[in-house]
Amino acid sequence: MKLILPPEASAQAFDRALERFAGVVGKEWVLASDEDRDTYLDAYAMGDGSDHVPAAAVAPQSVEEIQALLRIANELRIPLWPVSRGKNLGYGAAAPVMSGTVVLDLGRMRRILEVNDKYGYCVIEPGVGFFDLFQYLREQKIPLWMSVPGNAWGSVIGNALERGIGYTPYGDNTSKLCGLEVVLPSGELVRTGMGAMSGAKSWQHYQYGFGPAWDQLFVQSNFGIVTRAGLWLMPEPEATLRARVHLPKADDIGWAIDELARLRLRNVIEHTFVFGNYLHDASVFSQREQWYQGPGALPDEVAERMMAHYNIGWWNFSLTLYGYPEAIRAHAQVVRQALEPHLGQELEFDSWHRGEPIEGSGAGIPGVLPLQIVNWRGGRGGHIGFSPVMPPDGQLALQRFHRVKALYAKHGMDYYTSFTMGHRHINNVNLIIYDRDDPAMTQSAQALFRELIADAAHEGYGEYRTHISFMDDVAQTFDFNNHALLKLNETVKDALDPHGILAPGKSGIWPRALRGKRT
Amino acid sequence: MRIIFALAVAATLLSVARAAELTPAQVQGQQLFRARCGYCHLFGGTGTIMLARRLGDKDSLLENRADLDAGYIRTVVRGGLRSMPALTRVEVTDAELAAIAAYLTRAREAPAQ
Repeated sequence: MKLILPPEASAQAFDRALERFAGVVGKEWVLASDEDRDTYLDAYAMGDGSDHVPAAAVAPQSVEEIQALLRIANELRIPLWPVSRGKNLGYGAAAPVMSGTVVLDLGRMRRILEVNDKYGYCVIEPGVGFFDLFQYLREQKIPLWMSVPGNAWGSVIGNALERGIGYTPYGDNTSKLCGLEVVLPSGELVRTGMGAMSGAKSWQHYQYGFGPAWDQLFVQSNFGIVTRAGLWLMPEPEATLRARVHLPKADDIGWAIDELARLRLRNVIEHTFVFGNYLHDASVFSQREQWYQGPGALPDEVAERMMAHYNIGWWNFSLTLYGYPEAIRAHAQVVRQALEPHLGQELEFDSWHRGEPIEGSGAGIPGVLPLQIVNWRGGRGGHIGFSPVMPPDGQLALQRFHRVKALYAKHGMDYYTSFTMGHRHINNVNLIIYDRDDPAMTQSAQALFRELIADAAHEGYGEYRTHISFMDDVAQTFDFNNHALLKLNETVKDALDPHGILAPGKSGIWPRALRGKRT
Repeated sequence: MRIIFALAVAATLLSVARAAELTPAQVQGQQLFRARCGYCHLFGGTGTIMLARRLGDKDSLLENRADLDAGYIRTVVRGGLRSMPALTRVEVTDAELAAIAAYLTRAREAPAQ
């Protein structure tokens, strides 16, 4: 991609900024060639990614280097877009909202600073990936389990800061953050929670500290750069029991969500899990053309063939019970009593006991196999996810399912969905899979996405996380009292970042000087 | 997926055993390949599956290929290919990429026996 300058910098000022950046991090860590810029584009962009082009990237290795870069960026008005490892695939990856922003790549900050197996936590830097931490725990034989998302290529901290999801009892990853170290746009270094005390001994033991707790202010925001974080890890349980459940009919979602919500709310089922349709399996293990070459969305008769071929249901999910053998056997009975009368057959549980290979357990094990779905259409594949938050109510889920499926059909896209069950909510993750280089298809994908935003908002549902192309659209749906939350966010933004240099447009939050860029 | 992971571990161990046949530079390239590319390009990985669909099983594991050259590897890594994202010079430095390429092209570069 050709260079797009930051909006408030001349070519000379930008060159001067890069030279001064190089003086801080070293020339090799200022990445400013055409090829470098291309490597930071959105790998799943709907098209060539030319609507979100970084001007360059710079990769510091320490807090002090970040502070020095911020001083230069403030002086020369160079906007920075922090990424941990840049693998936020489906949401823009490493690319910034605003073209001309310089990516601040924290991938070189990859130290595992502490792992405490007695109290179950780690302190890590943003460049630490799921595979890195998993390997470290295995090599050191530390009996702590991770919560791992479907695509585990990315950063542990980055995922938690985007409210990513894993599938163990610690699967609400943001809620397991305990203590952040943050560089503010001014360059000042802050520690949240108990870490605000010099010599604190309980930073990773208590999430709140004294007075207002700021941690959530640095989640999905552009108020600071997180340079290290405490994260709670799950003590390895004594045993697990796992069952895979298949529901044959689409409308089974009604009774199933109600029963599962009761089990989740009472902590019989303690983990977040994907309640997904048949396309989850088919899109990983096959390509669309093997099933259907016609136009429009996949017909239901194709769904029936896929279900028969893979011996799965319209909906499929896995439940795992974690803990002492006696306790989880008792909970398994409760699960049986809830589900078996509807299923008309017995559930089969696979058991695992500590000491056995963990591949047979309910542990979070990093993998990237789900990325296979972008190959569904062939060509240069990509996906975006529309994920409104809903109450875990069977009738609402049934209605939502029919409504969204009809919208997918209207726009000719294949319906890939899950009603991912949280503790008291559902993340209704709807993926739209496309061939990036098919303009008609990406146009349909965008039209569908915009209609989903409007339709969900009309029904009272808002997204938990979104792609960089739709952050303004989604932020606009959080409109109570004439957008009072957005006004509050931008008041804080202007106070903390008066020159507007940190991630303009992130989550729809724009600094004063750049509000004209809002789409 | 869990079975695939176990097989990938087994494949890794097998290859480590074979590492004794590699030069020190190739061993370094192998370790880097596994650390940076192995997420997708070991046995059972998503890249391996995609390559198998396109080229057949025989050519799906990059470590077994004899037809790759360093220029092509560099082009794919920095530019991406089909559904494979490009990798930045932070994730894989130029020096690391050269070492990986030297490992993956070892069969092509080896003198005739």
